[in-house]
Amino acid sequence: MAERMQICNLSEHNFEQCTKCSICTTVCPVAAVTTDYPGPKQAGPDGERYRLKDPAYFDKALKLCLNCKRCEVACPSGVHIADIIQHARMRATEGHRATLRDTMLANTDLLGTMANLVAPMANATLGLKPTKLLMDSVMAIDKHRTFPAYSRQKFTTWYKRHAAKQQDAFAHHVSYFHGCYVNYNFPKLGQDLVKLLNAVGYGVHLLDKEQCCGVALIANGLYKQAKRQARTNIDNIRTSVNRDQRVVLTTSSSCTFNMRDEYPSMLGIDNADVRDSISLATRFIYRLVDEEKIKLVFKQDYKRRLAYHTACHMQRMGWQLYSIELLRMIPGLDLVELEQNCCGISGTYGFKKENYERSQAIGSVLFKDIEKAGVEAVTTDCETCKWQIEMSTGLPVENPISVLADALDVEATRKANGI
Amino acid sequence: MRMDTVIIGGGLSGLACGISLAKRGKRVTIVASGQSTMLFNGGSMEMLGYVDGKAVENPLEAIASLPESHPYSKIGADRIASLAERVKLLFSDSGIDMTGSANANHWRITPMGIAKPAWLTLSDHLRIDDINRLPARRLALMCIRGYFDQPNAMLAQGLRDLGFEVEMIEFTTDDITALRRSPSEMRATSLAKRLVSNSALQRVADQFNSLASDADMVLMPSVFGQTDSSDFQMLQSMTNKPLRLVATLPPSVAGMRMMTQLRHYFKMLGGTYLTGDTAVSGTFDGDRLTSITTAKLSDMPLMADNFVLASGSFISRGLRADYERVYEPVLGVDIDADADREQWTRFGVLNAQSYFGYGVATDDQLRCLKQGKPIQNLRAIGSVLSGHDAVKMGDGTGVSLLTAIAAADHIRENK
Amino acid sequence: MVTSDIYQKEYDVIIVGGGATGAGAARDCALRGLSVLLVERNDYSTGATGRNHGLMHSGARYAVTDGESASECISENMILRRIARHCVEETDGLFITLPEDDLQYQQTFVEACQRAGIRADIIAPDEARRIEPAVNPDLIGAVRVPDASIDPFRLTVANLLDARMHGAVTLNYHEVEGVIINQNRVEGLKLLNKRNGEHVEVRGRVVVNAAGIWGQRIAQQAGVNISMFPARGALLIFGHRVNNMVINRCRKPANADILVPDDTVCVIGTTSDRIPIETVDDMRVTREEVDVLLKEGVKIAPSLATTRIIRAYAGVRPLVASDDDPSGRSISRGIVCLDHAKRDGLEGFITITGGKMMTYRLMGEIATNAVCAKLGNTAPCVTASQPLPGSEEGAPDQRDATKRYSFGQRAAIGRHGSLAARIEKDNDIDNALVCECEGVTVGEIKYAVHQLHVHNLVNLRRRTRVGMGTCQGKLCSCRAASLMGELSGDVKAAQEDLAAFLDERWKGMRPVAWGDTLREAQLTAAIYEGLCGLDKAVNMEGKEDVQ
Repeated sequence: MAERMQICNLSEHNFEQCTKCSICTTVCPVAAVTTDYPGPKQAGPDGERYRLKDPAYFDKALKLCLNCKRCEVACPSGVHIADIIQHARMRATEGHRATLRDTMLANTDLLGTMANLVAPMANATLGLKPTKLLMDSVMAIDKHRTFPAYSRQKFTTWYKRHAAKQQDAFAHHVSYFHGCYVNYNFPKLGQDLVKLLNAVGYGVHLLDKEQCCGVALIANGLYKQAKRQARTNIDNIRTSVNRDQRVVLTTSSSCTFNMRDEYPSMLGIDNADVRDSISLATRFIYRLVDEEKIKLVFKQDYKRRLAYHTACHMQRMGWQLYSIELLRMIPGLDLVELEQNCCGISGTYGFKKENYERSQAIGSVLFKDIEKAGVEAVTTDCETCKWQIEMSTGLPVENPISVLADALDVEATRKANGI
Repeated sequence: MRMDTVIIGGGLSGLACGISLAKRGKRVTIVASGQSTMLFNGGSMEMLGYVDGKAVENPLEAIASLPESHPYSKIGADRIASLAERVKLLFSDSGIDMTGSANANHWRITPMGIAKPAWLTLSDHLRIDDINRLPARRLALMCIRGYFDQPNAMLAQGLRDLGFEVEMIEFTTDDITALRRSPSEMRATSLAKRLVSNSALQRVADQFNSLASDADMVLMPSVFGQTDSSDFQMLQSMTNKPLRLVATLPPSVAGMRMMTQLRHYFKMLGGTYLTGDTAVSGTFDGDRLTSITTAKLSDMPLMADNFVLASGSFISRGLRADYERVYEPVLGVDIDADADREQWTRFGVLNAQSYFGYGVATDDQLRCLKQGKPIQNLRAIGSVLSGHDAVKMGDGTGVSLLTAIAAADHIRENK
Repeated sequence: MVTSDIYQKEYDVIIVGGGATGAGAARDCALRGLSVLLVERNDYSTGATGRNHGLMHSGARYAVTDGESASECISENMILRRIARHCVEETDGLFITLPEDDLQYQQTFVEACQRAGIRADIIAPDEARRIEPAVNPDLIGAVRVPDASIDPFRLTVANLLDARMHGAVTLNYHEVEGVIINQNRVEGLKLLNKRNGEHVEVRGRVVVNAAGIWGQRIAQQAGVNISMFPARGALLIFGHRVNNMVINRCRKPANADILVPDDTVCVIGTTSDRIPIETVDDMRVTREEVDVLLKEGVKIAPSLATTRIIRAYAGVRPLVASDDDPSGRSISRGIVCLDHAKRDGLEGFITITGGKMMTYRLMGEIATNAVCAKLGNTAPCVTASQPLPGSEEGAPDQRDATKRYSFGQRAAIGRHGSLAARIEKDNDIDNALVCECEGVTVGEIKYAVHQLHVHNLVNLRRRTRVGMGTCQGKLCSCRAASLMGELSGDVKAAQEDLAAFLDERWKGMRPVAWGDTLREAQLTAAIYEGLCGLDKAVNMEGKEDVQ
């Protein structure tokens, strides 16, 4: 022990590396729009010293934290400020029951399953003014919000019917964690990924079983359920990695971040053996191109001007580089890299009536930037950013994978990769 | 991923070097571990403020007498003048409006009203070129009600000692009062976020126009313009007196603005800026560094022809000190520092502290030494360098900028 | 009372020393109806009172070696829980046995505790690990005792406040320059007012020497000799709590064997070294002391090896030769009350010394009894039953979750108990935080300046915890200095005071200046010297220590 003495300060979440420099306070999107939130420094490391002394010092205003992690990205001392805040919330709400509204919003897959069965009706009903008003008053889901439309056919159904059979023929293989959004709302993104990877010689497979990654469950305090689902997911990812020798790709920055980083830090689920095998598809593809293992050929006549928005969790992972560099490979794409600002939705946060105005105020800086950029569409790796930006700017938002798939000259790519 | 140059550190020095290289078409990646110490800057750059505790009048002249171990001596005193001109150009190219001269320091005014020698100062900040010819006689010092990061009375006293007539005028607006509802978050940067719309600025200007009618000049804490100087210009156009800003306690709006503008410019030149990532290790091949690995791109080493270490001093964790030693944590290069912990510091907080002079050991081309031998393609710049003292000599930002450009030159010449 | 009246009045009793003992004696005397003047050469609680563990002993530590002290401790411990609730945190304590210790000692220890009337429950190592996860997991035995933590600054101030409410006059920064003696009777003191340089004389019927280790000097000034043996102890403060119970080693008292959770931090100590009396004002902590504290400290709680240390400090305990023996062989660790009329033939002069911060009240009672005997006062002592200001029945509780307290309000109630009601909190500016680490508001600072005898930032820190957090005053000291300057109107003095405060903080940081504490120091220098130029405004050249 003596030789380890005071070599480093190792505290949970690097808590005591904080020098109180206050830099985190300059980037917090919540504190920027409301004085009800004490800001990341006070809510995080400052408050934590008092909470260590006595949990009674917990401040209810901490629930206003978006968990966007921008404070952590800005921190020059490596303090996991948002983790400190989230853990304090977790300790303080242990044993509390979540409200019906929060439970409903958090269970994105349950809601999806029900809605898929009756998609046209669900879309119509959820979009109707009386329904919205009812949800606003009874459920406290803000009436301005439009639930993302539900698809008539789930991604998994499409995959089984139209794609599954062909996949074994490829020389290389990956697994795909599609997540709730692709499955229930936007199967096209999953289809685009299959198209893209197939074109470069990779077969795409589903996990034996996947459940919602649980990012919304954690945000809404449903930790037990989140833990159960996380265990199922990690078990199935493990099978894919160990039995099938397949890495697991996603097309959602939030699912990726949640499974790689929040599982161990928030839920105490050990994923160390498979963490490196969980990756965002753009990262995986970029690496293949960078190592000259595959080639991408794009359509000659493709011409678009898009703005790239770095989702908060993407920024926290530091992976926007991969998506941006990949997109820059498209010759006809004029890509504007937006300043890194939060869109304000933060998953289910912006859906709640009490957060609506704050959510829009937070996003306003980004929306103005998008307006100034003069683009035909926005591209981002996060589906909830997509809803928020579409609702607030009227511009379509696409995942970089869809942009790539759209711009890809499939035949030429296949040829270039010898398929 | 292969680049021409990878820079470890995204502060003033890293960005200045990155811009210099990117401007000449090089592919540059900067790895920035959080935001930089520029957030403690007061809106000025200092080349050399003090020698032996005495204020320096002509930095270019004084630099010639610095010891060999000083980074300026390594660059070569004769080269400083031309590098200094390029620094000014770099700022104006980035849209940062600074004035000053390398052969005649002016005085910047600190948040406590003390005049310190400076090389360049943002043009919207108060500066004094000649202490006998003040830019105004009567100052209205506008004090924001409920804002505690500006020691107003000390500032006023300091300005009076310099010969100004100062009237302290407290004011507030609805936007400011609303912000004060937060017990903790009324900071310069949060004020700057709220005082952006024309109506919010007009409310401030109305206060100035009605309360400061006797003054020649209105002085105001630097709480405007996080991203550029347009908010200040708008406020000036609404105010019927010349308006100047004075630095506050951190976080500094001016510092944040300068960093944003430099980062923008760097990206505009095609540079890649990895925010919130940290270099963790490097791979050497003989006397060359072949790649570095970062925490977040853990399985993709960043390869490059040249590397620059711009990771800052202890604050920025470019240098580390533990119970037993001082070291450079990423690449393990040689350090100039005392081995004995007792020697790192002295009693008396305002005495010169030895650790300020600690840093990475380099040769005369700013190449880092490892076990005494220079690494051919690795240069150190800025606060991570040994042999200077930002606090006692007032040379911190100057060393950051001038070594950055000198290193960029070395990298180009070595091709 | 105007200042001149203060100096002209003849008091029943003058007490020298503004530590816990002096404050306790002043309170007791005042409550018994005596007219009281207390003088202190620096700030209140600057001596041994403010430089110990902040441990409210159960007495268990002394049970084996000094049964009398142990009994005094447990009885005072129970009293303080009642009368000083806002200064006390009822943490309980563990006495742990490690593999390198003799487990047999545990039995001796528990029996001794029982003899002294201290509850001591042997618990299984598993249970100890459960109730205090920070404890060294290798422990082989544990005993639970009613130790607690106590804030000596608050305690002293509460005693002074009560004394003043009962008519006492208390003066800090008044140093004794001489003792006025007339025909073998002490009649008063010559004082230097250190704040304005004025020399004054004050008169009293009895003078109580409660100056701790400095009491030897006071006695000399009165022409009597007391042999004191200063025992110096160094301690380290960690940046936050790692433990929530006091942890002791279950063995004969030795170096660094107690870890105490104090407010937001925890403190390991102490070393113990006899030092020459001439060096009692040198409180610098040496490298060797730091090394010993760390080496032993990690045995109590292994996480200390990787926890940031924010400062180091040292204090001096006054041990007294019970019989004038200059060799120091027959030293008493207990309370010593000397009536110099009986001992030296000098009337009107009493020395109260020895003892511990923990037994300050009892020392005050013993001294007051001696004073009353001289003055023929027969009023009974009520300090054991009457709560201190702030700790009255029904005082608000900062833990009350039903109240919507702000962070600053909760912290203030924790510090001032019911007196927190005197802090302005009805407007946004008074609720604004000055010290963000410790939750000190503008309102609390105004309250401290106006009602708690605050003349400078160091005083303010002792009353409120300004600058006692992780950053050691980096953000708050400028805000606080600026506020103090506005309140006093003397800006230059506020600037000098700011520099002195930073210097005082640095004094404690320097011995542990590595890692994040060194980063903190560099950032502080970058702000106050680099950005602000404070070093150009004040002249501290050559000054190494500023009280």
